[in-house]
Amino acid sequence: MSATRRSFLKSGLALGGIAATSQLSAPFVRTALAGQSSNSVIFASGEPLTGNWDPTSHTILGQINFEGYVFGRLTKTPMRPENPSEIQYELATGHKVISENILEWTLRQGITFHNGKPFKAEDVKATFEYASQPGKSAWYPGPVDVEIVDDYTVRLNTENHGYPATAYILLASFLPIMSAEDIADGAISQTPNGTGPFKFVEQRGDETIMAAFDDFHEGRPIIDEFRFAYMGDANTRVLALLGGEADIIERLEPEQHDTLAERDGVRVKRTVSTENKYLHFRCNKAPFDDVRLRKAVCHAIDRDLITEILGAAGHASSSYVSPVKLGGSDIANYPTYDPEESQRLLAEAGYPRGNGLPELEYITSTGFYPKTKEYGELITALLQEQGFNVKLTVLETAAWLERIYQPESGEAPGHLVDVGWATGSPEPDLVLRPMWHSSQSLITGFEDAEVDAALDAQQAEGDPAARLKLIEEGVMPKLADKVPSLSLFTSVLIHGMQSNLEGAYFYPNGPIDLSKASYT
Amino acid sequence: MAFVLTFLLRRLSQGIVIVLLVGFVIFSLLRIVPGDPVRIMVGPMATEEQVEQIAEELGLRDPLPVQFGRYLSDLARGDLGNSFIKATSGASVAGGRDDGSAARAQVLDLIVAAIPFSALLAGLGVLLALIFSIPLGIAAGLYPNGWIGRATFAISSVFVSLPNIWLGILLILIISVQLGWLPAIGYKGVAYAVLPAIVLAVELSAVIVRALASSVAATMQENFVQAGIVRGLTMRHMITHHVLRNSAIPMLNLFGAQLGGLLLGSLFVVEYIFNYPGLGLLTVNAVFQRDFPVIQGVAILTTAVLVLINILVDLISAGIDRRLQY
Repeated sequence: MSATRRSFLKSGLALGGIAATSQLSAPFVRTALAGQSSNSVIFASGEPLTGNWDPTSHTILGQINFEGYVFGRLTKTPMRPENPSEIQYELATGHKVISENILEWTLRQGITFHNGKPFKAEDVKATFEYASQPGKSAWYPGPVDVEIVDDYTVRLNTENHGYPATAYILLASFLPIMSAEDIADGAISQTPNGTGPFKFVEQRGDETIMAAFDDFHEGRPIIDEFRFAYMGDANTRVLALLGGEADIIERLEPEQHDTLAERDGVRVKRTVSTENKYLHFRCNKAPFDDVRLRKAVCHAIDRDLITEILGAAGHASSSYVSPVKLGGSDIANYPTYDPEESQRLLAEAGYPRGNGLPELEYITSTGFYPKTKEYGELITALLQEQGFNVKLTVLETAAWLERIYQPESGEAPGHLVDVGWATGSPEPDLVLRPMWHSSQSLITGFEDAEVDAALDAQQAEGDPAARLKLIEEGVMPKLADKVPSLSLFTSVLIHGMQSNLEGAYFYPNGPIDLSKASYT
Repeated sequence: MAFVLTFLLRRLSQGIVIVLLVGFVIFSLLRIVPGDPVRIMVGPMATEEQVEQIAEELGLRDPLPVQFGRYLSDLARGDLGNSFIKATSGASVAGGRDDGSAARAQVLDLIVAAIPFSALLAGLGVLLALIFSIPLGIAAGLYPNGWIGRATFAISSVFVSLPNIWLGILLILIISVQLGWLPAIGYKGVAYAVLPAIVLAVELSAVIVRALASSVAATMQENFVQAGIVRGLTMRHMITHHVLRNSAIPMLNLFGAQLGGLLLGSLFVVEYIFNYPGLGLLTVNAVFQRDFPVIQGVAILTTAVLVLINILVDLISAGIDRRLQY
């Protein structure tokens, strides 16, 4: 074989091409481009974070999850169904009810914020007084005055504000403790500075980078880096998990749960959440200002069929709050599927077989909660079977959000509305008052003096056991009798994660405790 | 030269009218569809009073012509406004109790930041499509009744029928998840553009291959081809020097339309599936979150780009064949 100049050039070019390809191929290999250290966790969130880091400035679940990594709280409440009101002390070491309006907290010593400032009573005072200002945050019952007894003891006082301080016993697990300096100079909006296991490093586009906090009071997390990445689409999140580009993903659809449960290398975690899904009646307008018609609707709905549709995403419950909340056990007189009773009530209300009823609009959403359209169609069919003339309106999230609340003037749209209510504490009042106390009734427009009295009575009770009794025997049976809403089921949070990630605790409202997590 | 100047002047003035019309339609539609952006900005627990106050501040309660006039006046100064949702940090300001006005990102900045990603993806998609389509299309055009012509027809039929969402997910599952050859979700390097570019290329190839094949086949039937052969030119010379040049004009026009399709359609869907941080992802998220300024900005930009591409294509076509006067 003879070598010509042309064949030499050709061979040279070919070899050069192979060499260039081998150089180029490196970036094209997925594993070579993973971009994170082996001790890093990427969490794919279904919701973006807000640009304002002040924990009292929003109601965004994604941001509440983020705050779980960066901020500490006085207590933790794991919210397990077997013991919903269990309290574990975090920045506090104990609490004492001095009187109905005075609640004392003793604080843990030797804790510092991420910026090095020592944690003291002044920070608790600043946080509680700041967060509880009227109009500041939706979660707190009213203003509170905080008295500093010493550097590590504070007293919450509500004497001047007309509600018991004991309301903060369970709420303390939900309020991120901010630095007094950050609140005073407004820095809290610009930079998240807490006492939690991970400290904020930077925002890079849709990704928030955090690093392990060396001085975390429970010991430095084993995970070095935590990335909070926004991925809006559920399929994309699943593919990211499967491709190794995310380590934990949230808000899986039930089908995705079933698919991932069968795959090697990943696993799924179901957590009964703090969220119940409700079919709310517009109680302040016809025809659902008539309790008999509300009951007729409740008896027409077979909730077992709904939980069947939801699969892994639903948990059967018969209460107005989730079983992981105080007072969330099933209610004895909760309405059950009973078509005959539905017919009887319809006839009693003057609408036999639904004759004479106007067209009823049932508003639901798609793209936010799992299976709302599917079970919305089922509920519509069940109601039509009993003679209700129901029209289902399925709206994408933004349009639905605009229509769910009672306006300050005029009538709210529709007659039936599908809404969930997720809150970050076992405190039942976070649901009960906004939904059914006549001072708020955000969606139903429901006003009832008996229910108001029952809600006020349980809120005023400082003893947890006595309060539970007032909720279970006072509030819940009254709500089940007057049915301003029908709680359909309790949502289940579905997370997917790499199977070698161990030690994470999933809270029922979304946050994940990774302070003890590690790869095995 | 005079022709070019007259041509550009006429077409650009027409283009401005088209961009303004599209801008007005988008502007009006956004304000008619349900979904109040202020409710998303301030979160579900904000009072009606807060919502109305911020809406007033943003001018969203003014009559539509007033809002559009103000928008055009800002636009004339190169100001596309501030996003309702995206913060300068890249995070979202939605759901906050204030309007976050200090932190809201400039729409122009968001678009400028996203363009390189989309340009890379679109460029790579077009490149892959051309690498695949040109040899196959020419071969199919030269031998329309042979096996290559039939196979090309079958391949393009399959390609055109593949939904890009399905293809994207399938490619991620096989190439990224199962084989681990390429990354798929997000963007951390050029490699992240390859899989979405393949999805774009498949969709483009189907159209380019067919158009090229039929254009080449039609040119081969022209009298000048036989005349050239009779005069002693080789078939190879005829194809490389005459047939391909004459087949190029319909391809250029097609290209103008296809690039528009890329920008307005597939790119948006593909970027959303792959969580690829280009104009498409920015726009889809803006639609879900009723981020009016971003949607308007992207719509005006893409319309302007489409108009410019079409003007450019017509100009090049006229350069190739002087008989064409647009």
